[in-house]
Amino acid sequence: MEVTTDRSSSKDAELELELELYTIPAQSSWFVWDDIHEIERREFTEFFSESSITRTPKVYKEYRDFIINKYREDTSRRLTFTSIRKYLIGDVNLLRKVFLFLEKWGLINFLQKSDDVVVEESEAKIEQGTTPAGIRVTSTPNSTRPVIAPPLVEERAEPALTFPPLTSYSDVFKKPALVCGQPCPSHSAAFYEHNNKSNLCDKCFKNGGENNSAELIGSSAAAAWTEEETLLLLESVLKHGHDWELVAQSVSTKSRLDCISKLIELPFGDFLMGSASGRLRSSVPTEDEHLSSPSNLVQQMKTDGQEHKETETREENEEDEPPAKRKRAAMMSDGDSYLMKQVAAMACKVGPSVTTAAAKAAIAALCDEASCPKDIFETTSDYKNSAADRSVGDKDTSDIEEQQEEKEGLEDLPVGLRMRVSVATALGAAAAHAKVLADQEEREMELLVASVIDQQLKKMKSKLKFLEELEVIMDAEEKVMEGAKETIIQERISVLQSAFSGGITKRWDHTCVK
Amino acid sequence: MKASGKGPVKFRMPTAENLVPIRLDIQFEGQRYKDAFTWNPSDPDNEIVVFARRTVKDLKLPPAFFSQISQSIQSQLADFRAYEGQDMYTGEKIIPIKLDLRVNHTLIKDQFLWDLNNFESDPEEFARTLCKDLGVEDPEVGPAVAFAIREQLYEIAVQSVSSARESRLSKKSRRGSDYGSASKASGLSMDLVKLFSFKSSVVRKRKDLDVYEPMVDLLTNEEVDALEAREERHAR
Repeated sequence: MEVTTDRSSSKDAELELELELYTIPAQSSWFVWDDIHEIERREFTEFFSESSITRTPKVYKEYRDFIINKYREDTSRRLTFTSIRKYLIGDVNLLRKVFLFLEKWGLINFLQKSDDVVVEESEAKIEQGTTPAGIRVTSTPNSTRPVIAPPLVEERAEPALTFPPLTSYSDVFKKPALVCGQPCPSHSAAFYEHNNKSNLCDKCFKNGGENNSAELIGSSAAAAWTEEETLLLLESVLKHGHDWELVAQSVSTKSRLDCISKLIELPFGDFLMGSASGRLRSSVPTEDEHLSSPSNLVQQMKTDGQEHKETETREENEEDEPPAKRKRAAMMSDGDSYLMKQVAAMACKVGPSVTTAAAKAAIAALCDEASCPKDIFETTSDYKNSAADRSVGDKDTSDIEEQQEEKEGLEDLPVGLRMRVSVATALGAAAAHAKVLADQEEREMELLVASVIDQQLKKMKSKLKFLEELEVIMDAEEKVMEGAKETIIQERISVLQSAFSGGITKRWDHTCVK
Repeated sequence: MKASGKGPVKFRMPTAENLVPIRLDIQFEGQRYKDAFTWNPSDPDNEIVVFARRTVKDLKLPPAFFSQISQSIQSQLADFRAYEGQDMYTGEKIIPIKLDLRVNHTLIKDQFLWDLNNFESDPEEFARTLCKDLGVEDPEVGPAVAFAIREQLYEIAVQSVSSARESRLSKKSRRGSDYGSASKASGLSMDLVKLFSFKSSVVRKRKDLDVYEPMVDLLTNEEVDALEAREERHAR
């Protein structure tokens, strides 16, 4: 078998080879036709333990070769286990194990990714390394296909990965985006400068589409979503989930597409669609209380900044319902809301005065930069103050409504600046918080160093004490030794004296000398 | 999992999960409750009561069904447990399992081989794969297939208990080929020695392919009604 590594433009190389080429993942390059690899032996110990007549290496190899050859007869179709099991004699569970093993290693069905692979039990650990870098292998000489085949095999290096299209988006976004001037002739001529550089009249803007002009696409009946309708929509989505027909029926005045597009626009719409199995029943009541003033809600949804401030408040409101809050937290999927969430978190941490100071500084800097009067931010800073206060203080619904009314005054502020203000505030608050933390860290470090030094000193002192004691003992012992020495000498002297006074015989003298 | 006859094993369902198939068919005052499901014999017994109560409540059955349901489940479980202490014959035993069942509008006919000694086998997994590969949409078919497989396995496991008892009684001589005795004990198992020998291939012959191929039919409403009527007549 020849193995050639995948090259992106290997068409010329392929022309040289006259054998059929198949693509298998690089991880499976250990596979050889003629032999059974260690990996296979380990996986299928039952075949190699020689304890059964139905499970022998020969049987395993036959199963394996047959399955692979069957797949290679037509690599364009996905080989299913059911289609192959009728050909092989043996326990179907064992056969399935072999089949799954081969599929997992990409030796079969490599180019067809099963879309409901997830449904299968965890046994089938499908290798996710389906990179285009496959290894081309040739067919076995005794396969069912002729060895000399037409020279070119198409470069099927890319796995045929398709995702099922999201029905709601494709349903809604069929037509290109329309500028609002046309479908809403009744609306005022005042135009808004918008982030997206699309001009929307204020009515359409208010009616719930801010970043996407989805609402203006197609249906002209999607004019106004009243609060009752929004409420109904949310309830029916929670109840019926993805069944848009039923949802449309519940919200009687709106068609299916309208419901879908409206739901997308709502800040929590995506989340609801994703969790439409009804998990969020606990959060329905909180939604209701916010929807009690949905006109304010709708007006709020003008900018990302405001919208996410609102979700932030909602988040805080739900602290008494921890499970709902956790789910809300999970909902903030896109980057902007995440940012605003951080702002809120940091504002909480550093306290209101710091937040306001940071906001003011940020506004000042921005104003210098953009050379626009600070006055326009007057209300903004008040808003931020109140937001900071509120975020530290209590979490009543009434406060939010207050704040919502306050926000109505900010209708005419350009969106971009507000975004920047909030970002700058975030940065300021973050910096303040960081400085505080850094100071803390430094102090702690100093403390630790001091304690380390302390410990070392103590160690030294105890060692010194120990050595001193040792010295004292040694001195005492020395004295004792001296004393002993002296007494011995004394005794010796006295013995010699008595010996001399007694008279020394010659004999004794000699022995003494010796 | 060594497959050769290593000695008797305590009776249990020869599948990865030891689940007992339970069938209920209760008639009372003109109402009929038919059901088939798997039960975990290690569940505490009060679960039966809970299940029966829930079923009666959900299906709005008359309260007399409650005691009948729990009694039926209990007696089937008791039967199962009666076998539990005994030894089951083990050893190579590959048997053909046949499917011939109708679930709502889907008719399934199939035959395949099952190793009775493969304690990692999973009827539910098999049923899932079958339905997925054949594109069966009715979600009730899978569990019904798994149940049918389990029922057959249960029966054969019960038979192997009695065959183990037999072989123990006349044990002295039967040291030799366990496979021979296994295939004689129940006429169902295949002649494994012949099939898996060195000379033969494990690829099935063409003539047998039709037998072992699954067939799925979707019936029209009239056909379903006709079949149901016929079944009723048989039952009576």
